Amino acid sequence: MLNGLRWIVYAIAVLAMNFPVIVTLVTSFKSARELSTNAGLWINQPTLENYFRVLSDTSRFNIYIYLANSAAAALIGTGLAILLAFPAAYAIARSEAGRRILLPVVVNLRAVPLIIFAIPLYMMYQWLGLLDTQLGLGLILTIVNVPLALVILVNAISDVPAELDEAAKVDGASSLQVMLMIIRPVIRPALVTTFIFGFITAWNEFLFGLMLTTSRAVPMTVGSSFFFAASGGGVQWGTASAVMILGALPPALLGLLMYRQISGSMMAGAVKG
Amino acid sequence: MAIVNRAEGRLYFTPLVGFLLLFLGFPAIVNLVYSVSTVNFETLRSPTITGFGNYLSVLGDREFWRSVSFSMRFGIVTALAECLIGLFLAIFLAPLLARRSVLMAPLMLPLMVAPAMVGLMYRLVLHEFAGPVPYYLFEWFGDSPAFLDVNNAFRTLVVVEVLQWTPFAFLLFYMAYVAIPLDVREAAALDGATSFKALWWIELPLMLPTLTIAFFIRFIDGFRVFDNVYALTGSGAGGSTTSLSIYIYHAFFKQGAIGKAVAASVLLFLASLVVLCVLNWLAGLRRR
Amino acid sequence: MKMMRTSLAAVAALLSSIAMPGLSNAAVTVLGWPGGSEETALRAAVEAYNGKAAETDRVELLFFNRDGFFDKLQADMAAGSSAFDINLVATYSIGRYAPYMEPIELGPDAAKVFGESVLKTMQFDGKQYGVPTDLSLHFMYYRKDLIEALMADDAAKAKYAEIAKEHLEKELQPKDPDQWTWEDWAATALYFSKQVNDESPVRYGTVLQMKNLLFNMMVFQSLPRSYGGDWMDAAGNVTIDSEAYRTSLELYKKLYDAGASPRDSLSYEFAETNAAYSAGQAATALQWNAAAADLTNAEKSPAVADVTGVVAPPAGPNGRADHIHGLGLGLNKNAKNKEGAIKFLKWLASEEAALTYARGGGSPALAPEVVAKVASERPDLVKLGEFASRYGYVMTGATSANALSIYELQAKEFTGYWSGQQSLDDALAHTKAGMQDLLKK
Repeated sequence: MLNGLRWIVYAIAVLAMNFPVIVTLVTSFKSARELSTNAGLWINQPTLENYFRVLSDTSRFNIYIYLANSAAAALIGTGLAILLAFPAAYAIARSEAGRRILLPVVVNLRAVPLIIFAIPLYMMYQWLGLLDTQLGLGLILTIVNVPLALVILVNAISDVPAELDEAAKVDGASSLQVMLMIIRPVIRPALVTTFIFGFITAWNEFLFGLMLTTSRAVPMTVGSSFFFAASGGGVQWGTASAVMILGALPPALLGLLMYRQISGSMMAGAVKG
Repeated sequence: MAIVNRAEGRLYFTPLVGFLLLFLGFPAIVNLVYSVSTVNFETLRSPTITGFGNYLSVLGDREFWRSVSFSMRFGIVTALAECLIGLFLAIFLAPLLARRSVLMAPLMLPLMVAPAMVGLMYRLVLHEFAGPVPYYLFEWFGDSPAFLDVNNAFRTLVVVEVLQWTPFAFLLFYMAYVAIPLDVREAAALDGATSFKALWWIELPLMLPTLTIAFFIRFIDGFRVFDNVYALTGSGAGGSTTSLSIYIYHAFFKQGAIGKAVAASVLLFLASLVVLCVLNWLAGLRRR
Repeated sequence: MKMMRTSLAAVAALLSSIAMPGLSNAAVTVLGWPGGSEETALRAAVEAYNGKAAETDRVELLFFNRDGFFDKLQADMAAGSSAFDINLVATYSIGRYAPYMEPIELGPDAAKVFGESVLKTMQFDGKQYGVPTDLSLHFMYYRKDLIEALMADDAAKAKYAEIAKEHLEKELQPKDPDQWTWEDWAATALYFSKQVNDESPVRYGTVLQMKNLLFNMMVFQSLPRSYGGDWMDAAGNVTIDSEAYRTSLELYKKLYDAGASPRDSLSYEFAETNAAYSAGQAATALQWNAAAADLTNAEKSPAVADVTGVVAPPAGPNGRADHIHGLGLGLNKNAKNKEGAIKFLKWLASEEAALTYARGGGSPALAPEVVAKVASERPDLVKLGEFASRYGYVMTGATSANALSIYELQAKEFTGYWSGQQSLDDALAHTKAGMQDLLKK
């Protein structure tokens, strides 16, 4: 009985939260003709023409390059954020230093609309030759990701009993060794979570992609908006939907793939408890 | 003895601090200069320092306070709703999910879609003639409300934000919930605690740090919301859905009032710094 | 840190494997308006040009996206970008970008191709800053079938007169859309709205674009203009609080409040308006000329394509008016290859180029003798040129440095009034104060 209720709640939650995605998926299989007469969730004449147009029209807009740019920039932006945040998080969690100033300041970066840095950054990038490069975009995404990475990692390391470190230290390990050999494996789920959230955030970032790239390093979010105006300046819902689905696919696949890893280690951790 | 001594701590901070100084230090200095200057797009390289006029004009701007109030309300309402629904789902669905972890996948999906795209998707979903929601409402009830007019826009935007980001809170809570050691639960059961009592007196307090963090993160994200609101309603009729981020963006790009935009951001930064320090201080007090 | 090592390896692999799709060694880079017919046409023109240009003069095209286009362009130009030699300008943004651009000399032939009034849409402070490529104005789209049925039915005519009397306090009879005044249009819109007339065959009489968005203000502007409204008088005083603007703002609000336009009109722009009209549930729509291709295409708009008529916007006491603005291409001050860029721009202003552009799907406004040469292929261009020369206008001050900001300001204040958040007096007072400030600079 209660279990039945659980299934119902689950189904409602999944449907409600994914509704826009479901609608977009359905729309991406409708022709322009059908769209103007049928707004329902049923497709009378499913068609692949929207996907075909998006994937084949590479002379106009090369979606493959956008995807590659997004992937490269998001990987840099996430990997580097973790590399920078992990040692800092360890120091904060274990020494109280930085808790008063560094942590609040970095966390606050999340609260600031980073767009205010756009103009100075633009000038700096121009000077450094980072404009319109994957690396340049990746470095900005690192800044976007650092605050959340730091919060999650500080929290995770604080949850690890300090006795563990102390025991290792008594055995003669340096703090660097403790960090890499003891802490890292224990907080692996948190690292994975950080990576997933970071990658998704980076992939989905729009404004810096817009401001800092022009042609070579255009990411998917920006590139996909090229398709929105396929004719006459309006939104072609069918084409736009197909692009949105394709653009959402990589982070979605990654999330779902990595998810098994999280849940696996999570369960293991829970059992070991 | 601290596990990490002072010198080592400094070493561990160095990469992060160095990186941030490099990439944000210069822009921050430029911005601080701009915030006390008369500057527009033509004089970017030669701003004239004129004092605190920008700050005064921001503080005296009715629209600034209106956007602060919008962001504040939006942040609190969405964070609360996301945490409550997320907590309920995490605990209520836990038995289901423990057995079939694959069920997590559909619940996590919304997190992976770009908010700017979600805004666009809802432009389709809610359109009276092209969107399924009004289509079925007309079909079944013969009428459909105006989702994005002045009276409903705030509610609609809240629902859009909550539906996309509840999974975030849910995920954190679920992880915290299953991480509660088994023996704690067993001990509670042995003491004859009902499951509700165990939840209220044992499990929730154990999850409290996660709850606080999730609420805080969601509040900040709600407070600085930009992408989906901008895509869906822009700044809204008469500026009624102008979040603080949109206010700054507009001042910056649309009005070319760079000094004003930057001054508003500095104020925002200082305000959130104060709030965070107070929070930290409170946490410190409790620990003692 | 296995995961991190893996991801870093992936980064390295990706970086090395993706060959940078760098621009080929073309000598002139042009930043165009992406996505629409403007892009298709520019591609056709550039292909023709590259076919005969010297290796070092070849043109390479570059497109950003439309979302935030002008914000991005502003950042690029203010920072002194040299990523492109030639960039897009529009009438309403020319004042904003002129400081980062260089005026060009097009020669006497350009006036023969485009006509002086069209060249003016690309001028600032008396200097030519761009070659006009496309012209945008608004058409009144209407449902021929519905209007015909109304005109043929006496009972319907009586109902129409009754509605006009009740809502507009005027004695009005149904008329041919080409003879409409704004009041006739309003009465028609009310007649065809379910909320006003439950016998109406469609849900709404019109679709108003009322989102807080600068482009929507351009659509709106023609109504006050035909009542004699302007931004400034000859002495330079801001006249936005004129009777013309009052009447017009009130008319929009009246129609919206009466339910003659979809309830979510306050979030409608180009795309929403097209979707609403093409669903066959609206009798009229004042919409951009760019929508004509979609709305009259039986594949894309099967419900309305065959029964859609197009006329110029209705008349007011001062006749008809149609808000025009031009898109064009001009020279970046920081261009790397000015010589090549000027060569291309001069070619673009020639008759040969304009015709190629028109055949490629663009919407250039051409002098009558020139447009005659493509009239059979592009009949809509004839209408475009006709409306532009007969009714086209640019508000006084609408090419000033702050024109974009003025449209933004109006969008905010006017939508504030339409949505009932502030009174008409307040809206106009705020707009006036803001405009005085913006026009002074």
